[in-house]
Amino acid sequence: MIAQLTKSERQSALVILLALAVVGLAMAAGGRHDPFGVHGAIVLLAAILGIFGVISGYYAPEPSPDRLDSYYDSPTKFGIIVAMVWAVIGMAVGDWVAWLLAYPEWTFDAAWASFGRLRPVHTSGVIFGFGGNALIATSFYVMQRTTRARLPDQLTPWFVLFGYNLFCIIAATGYLMGVTQSREYAEPEWYADIWLVIVWVTYFILYMRVLARRQEPHIYVANWYYLAFILVVAMLHIVNNLAMPISWGSAKSYSLFSGVQDAMTQWWYGHNAVAFFLTSGFLGMMYYYMPKRAGRPIYSYRMSIISFWGITFFYMWAGSHHLHYTALPQWVQSLGMTFSVMLLVPSWVSAGNALMTLNGAWHKVRDDATLRFMMVAAVFYGLTTFEGSFMAIRPVNSLSHYTDWTIGHVHAGALGWVAMITFGAIYASVPWLWKRESMYSAKLVEVHFWLALAGTVIYVFAMWNSGIIQGLMWRTYNESGTLAYSFVDSLVAMHPYYIARAVGGAFFLLGAIIGFYNILMTIRSAPSVETQNAADFPVTGPAAAPALQPGE
Amino acid sequence: MGHFERDPHTGHMTTGHEWNGITELNTPVPKVIWLFLACTVIFAIGYWILMPTWPIGRTYTKGLLGDDVRHDVAQSVKQAALDRSVWSARIEKESFADIQKDPRLMDAVRETGRALFGDNCAACHGRNAQGGKGFPNLTTSSWLWGGTPEAIFQTLTVGINSAHPDTRTSQMPAFGKDGMLPRADIDKVVAFVRSLSQPNAKDLDPTKVAAGKELFAANCASCHGENATGNTEMGAPNLTDAFWIYGGDAQSIETTLWNGRQGHMPTWENRLSELDRKILALYLVDLRKADK
Amino acid sequence: MFGFHYRLESKSIGLVLAIVGVASIGGIVEIAPLFTIHQTVEAAPNMRVYTPLELAGRNIYIREGCYACHSQMIRTLRDEVERYGPYSLAVESKYDHPHLWGSKRTGPDLARLGEKYSDEWHVAHMINPRAVVPESVMPAYAWLARTELRTDDLGDHLNAERRVGVPYTDDMIANATADAYGQAAPDSPAADGVTKRYGKATTVRAFDGKPNELTEMDALVAYLQILGRLTDAAHKPVATAEKQP
Ligand code: HEC
Ligand code: HEC
Ligand code: HEC
Ligand code: HEM
Ligand code: HEM
Ligand SMILES: [Ca+2]
Ligand SMILES: [Ca+2]
Ligand SMILES: [Cu+2]
Repeated sequence: MIAQLTKSERQSALVILLALAVVGLAMAAGGRHDPFGVHGAIVLLAAILGIFGVISGYYAPEPSPDRLDSYYDSPTKFGIIVAMVWAVIGMAVGDWVAWLLAYPEWTFDAAWASFGRLRPVHTSGVIFGFGGNALIATSFYVMQRTTRARLPDQLTPWFVLFGYNLFCIIAATGYLMGVTQSREYAEPEWYADIWLVIVWVTYFILYMRVLARRQEPHIYVANWYYLAFILVVAMLHIVNNLAMPISWGSAKSYSLFSGVQDAMTQWWYGHNAVAFFLTSGFLGMMYYYMPKRAGRPIYSYRMSIISFWGITFFYMWAGSHHLHYTALPQWVQSLGMTFSVMLLVPSWVSAGNALMTLNGAWHKVRDDATLRFMMVAAVFYGLTTFEGSFMAIRPVNSLSHYTDWTIGHVHAGALGWVAMITFGAIYASVPWLWKRESMYSAKLVEVHFWLALAGTVIYVFAMWNSGIIQGLMWRTYNESGTLAYSFVDSLVAMHPYYIARAVGGAFFLLGAIIGFYNILMTIRSAPSVETQNAADFPVTGPAAAPALQPGE
Repeated sequence: MGHFERDPHTGHMTTGHEWNGITELNTPVPKVIWLFLACTVIFAIGYWILMPTWPIGRTYTKGLLGDDVRHDVAQSVKQAALDRSVWSARIEKESFADIQKDPRLMDAVRETGRALFGDNCAACHGRNAQGGKGFPNLTTSSWLWGGTPEAIFQTLTVGINSAHPDTRTSQMPAFGKDGMLPRADIDKVVAFVRSLSQPNAKDLDPTKVAAGKELFAANCASCHGENATGNTEMGAPNLTDAFWIYGGDAQSIETTLWNGRQGHMPTWENRLSELDRKILALYLVDLRKADK
Repeated sequence: MFGFHYRLESKSIGLVLAIVGVASIGGIVEIAPLFTIHQTVEAAPNMRVYTPLELAGRNIYIREGCYACHSQMIRTLRDEVERYGPYSLAVESKYDHPHLWGSKRTGPDLARLGEKYSDEWHVAHMINPRAVVPESVMPAYAWLARTELRTDDLGDHLNAERRVGVPYTDDMIANATADAYGQAAPDSPAADGVTKRYGKATTVRAFDGKPNELTEMDALVAYLQILGRLTDAAHKPVATAEKQP
């Protein structure tokens, strides 16, 4: 890998790593009595490993100039493998906590092993570890090909990937040590947040540099989505994480806002983390891999425009649907609810556009599990957004809020949409990236598909049942007009569903493990004869600018 | 680049672009989408007109319906109380004895009491009110402070060793820790106390029991009574039955005597209405009846 | 519209600006007025701040991730009010940096928990929930009872809170560590300082049952016992609670 960097890039890498080592050392020293110090040590260790890596390859010959004639895909390869590692970790922890809710005794007397500390390891592990790495990796792949421009240098993409994963590791180890801000999906403490800003701004600049060097006059839809993902996540992240550390040697901070303003900021963030991390980014992924795999044109360019701007505009108003009937003023709740309802339109237009793209390729969907992953993902996307808009209606939310129904909705989106589209994209790109004819085993892809589908369906149905039962039990009145069930009555009723969910989760996890094995075996198998697509190279000459064709 | 094609499958034209082999059709937006959008927008605007929605400077639009969630919930709680008053007013007014005679009222007590007990009392006394270590069983005939609905109601209102100004107070002294009895004497009293409820226990030394009996009369009878059947004036438990708060084995009794005990039962005066407390008192009495 | 877009999508900076512009509106319209509309947070003159011990307990609550299972927000719905007590007011979390309203009720709401149960019960429940509630799925937190509470940095905590707007006085900050000891050791000389600085109604008790040891259990139970009791603004019975003017 170091051999792919130029001399000056190797030097820059060393400078960056040395700076990181100094920061790590300072943190370790300043935070001796605090988890902050442990994180300093982790940073220092990461920097030292990096320095050894760079030095060991420092005197390797420089990469040849003809590297510039092909896309730079090593970071994508790395990102995909890391994403699969996080998928297995994150989902294994998810299933672990799922079992804990059914059998709370299956634990031991250690602080790190309790539900409250493991749960964010799961959520961050799957969303940031798995989802984030998959998004960064595929965005590198897609941006190069749809702009016909190579990544501008070799160092920046590695900085983004390694920096991002360092953030993920600090996040996950922090939760185990009890370092958390208790802001859902933004739990990491102030110093991890600052580090993520640095990584993210670099990522954004990298994206803009590629766009600036593009050879296609027009920016493809997938890039609009990736761009919105990068930009808006940055906005949300910075505002939601404003906090006052208690000292420079402590992990602990107090958020700038309090109470009702803090809650609204958090859910403005939380909801739009869903929108721009779990939706926009993955729509970008879908807009490239689905037409590519199906060999079909995008059904409607105009629908793409409507849905993109609809999603970007409407989503940002919807966060207050997480706070219906709370101490948040009612007027904000009205805005959240009505915008969530309008949001259904662009969401369904996206899903519809995706499914219509498959028109003329349904036979491929039948035969090709990879494309089927993407198709099912689009269906679950449509389903989840419908459910979301429905749950955002205040009276519905009065039932669903606080219950497992929300968890069911989350995983319809997370398993059915996010994970499925990612698996589809990964199965599509692995043979392309490693120049193999196909995946090691088409049969295992098929097995993974059915395990994933079965797991999702079991999970989601279990949670719909438990959530709705829970919500109803909490508000059921007996004939005398008083509450019919105590809280613990509802807890007892959840038990069978918690077991079912954990079993469904195990299916899904098993599928992911099989998928990972299949990917590793594909990489290990012999490369096929180079059958390179002419389109798989960057161009250097200027391209002609076509005019917009009038509507039909 | 820049060449437009008609897609044979859909019959639509492409936009003329191609990215890495991907093309797009210039299919117009189907009318149904505009219609769908119009519907949701009209719904939203209607809602905005009727409900509080838009912030303007230091205030917000109140909406034609003038709706306010806080007002709504206050109304619905009030209305619910009114609907319940067919039976609840009678429980509030009538004496315990009269309520107990009316099976319809007692049905309401049972229905209401179960969840009320489950949400407030079960944490300590268990879902079936049978107690647990440190928390008394409420289904027995042996009561610390008396088992009449009146006495139970009073216990609920003021609590035991609670923060209420009129709280019931009770204290089992720490005979060991505070040096009131030497270890050897405590041993003897423990033997005697055990002999009361388990006269046939094999491991009891009769000489100890006899010695314990005297020590008991001197130190304990003032609270627990001559024959150790307890005293509901001061919340001293009956030591002759099979029901124990802290356990009836030698070890537990010894701990009780060594460290003393002061159970804490919260006051419910500010948390549960008088009606609810009345219901709970009746519910507990009824539970004991149902058990028999 | 499509023609405009056709031009926009060929300009990357234009696209970036458009995305940022379009995505900013919602947040600005919804969040900024929460700072300017005074009705948002009710007036509660008797609102008090957390003592250092309660604050430390709150930080343990955050650290252990209790918010993953417990809400602290009673909604304006009949069943919630009848089960948990008066609905939560915005002012009650005025000093909560961050808020802990929660989004999932695997366990019950805790907004009105303060003084509902005894300290002994809380200690027993935290050490092993299933010992007192056999049906519980809550994790056991036995180590809290044997872990000494860290108090040397409590002054820093109060100071950081003051910087984000909580009215701690110099006196409170200077005595933070001593007050944490005092609140859990009723017979110690430090106990008086707590009631002097935080008010007579402050609970001073050996929360974990061991007055000569200051454990994390002391802090957590002290926090649980203050929940919903920082102000009595919310404790008017709901049926008579009037609309805010
Ligand atoms: C924090 C734990 C706790 C809760 C909650 C609790 N209790 Fe108790 N209760 C106790 C303890 C401890 C005692 C015994 C006090 C003693 O040892 O003297 C007690 C005693 C009683 C007694 C007196 C028993 C007797 O023999 O006289 C009654 C009646 C009672 N509780 C009913 C209730 C009801 C009804 C509720 C719910 C509204 C309730 N308790 C909630 C802890 C609790
Ligand atoms: C000052 C009054 C008083 C005196 C004297 C007293 N007790 Fe008690 N005892 C109590 C009270 C009150 C309780 C209940 C404490 C509670 O429930 O928390 C109690 C509880 C007990 C219990 C626990 C019962 C159970 O169900 O677990 C035992 C055993 C007991 N006493 C034995 C004795 C013996 C033996 C003596 C004399 C050596 C004695 N007591 C002297 C007031 C007294
Ligand atoms: C796995 C989910 C889970 C976690 C994490 C959790 N709890 Fe609980 N909690 C429950 C459940 C379920 C109940 C209801 C059963 C019971 O009382 O144990 C409960 C009940 C409680 C109660 C009693 C509430 C009442 O009104 O009866 C308190 C207090 C409490 N938890 C505090 C905490 C604290 C403090 C933490 C963190 C240190 C925590 N819980 C973490 C699930 C959880
Ligand atoms: C139209 C689109 C959508 C709308 C209107 C919507 C709406 C909602 C609503 C109303 C809730 C429940 C809030 C509560 O009661 O606490 C929710 C929760 C959630 N949704 Fe969606 N949703 C949409 C799409 C999605 C998608 C595609 C995902 C992808 C994974 C997703 C992930 C989540 C998550 C993770 C939560 C849980 C938040 C939390 O409480 O931690 N949503 N959504
Ligand atoms: C093996 C598969 C999985 C299992 C068994 C699983 C299990 C769980 C469990 C048990 C919870 C806690 C629910 C609760 O508190 O009641 C949870 C929460 C969550 N999971 Fe998963 N999960 C899996 C996969 C995923 C994936 C792939 C994603 C995202 C891409 C995801 C995203 C989330 C989110 C966002 C939450 C928080 C929901 C909320 O707060 O409302 N999960 N999961
Ligand atoms: Ca954060
Ligand atoms: Ca949540
Ligand atoms: Cu949302």
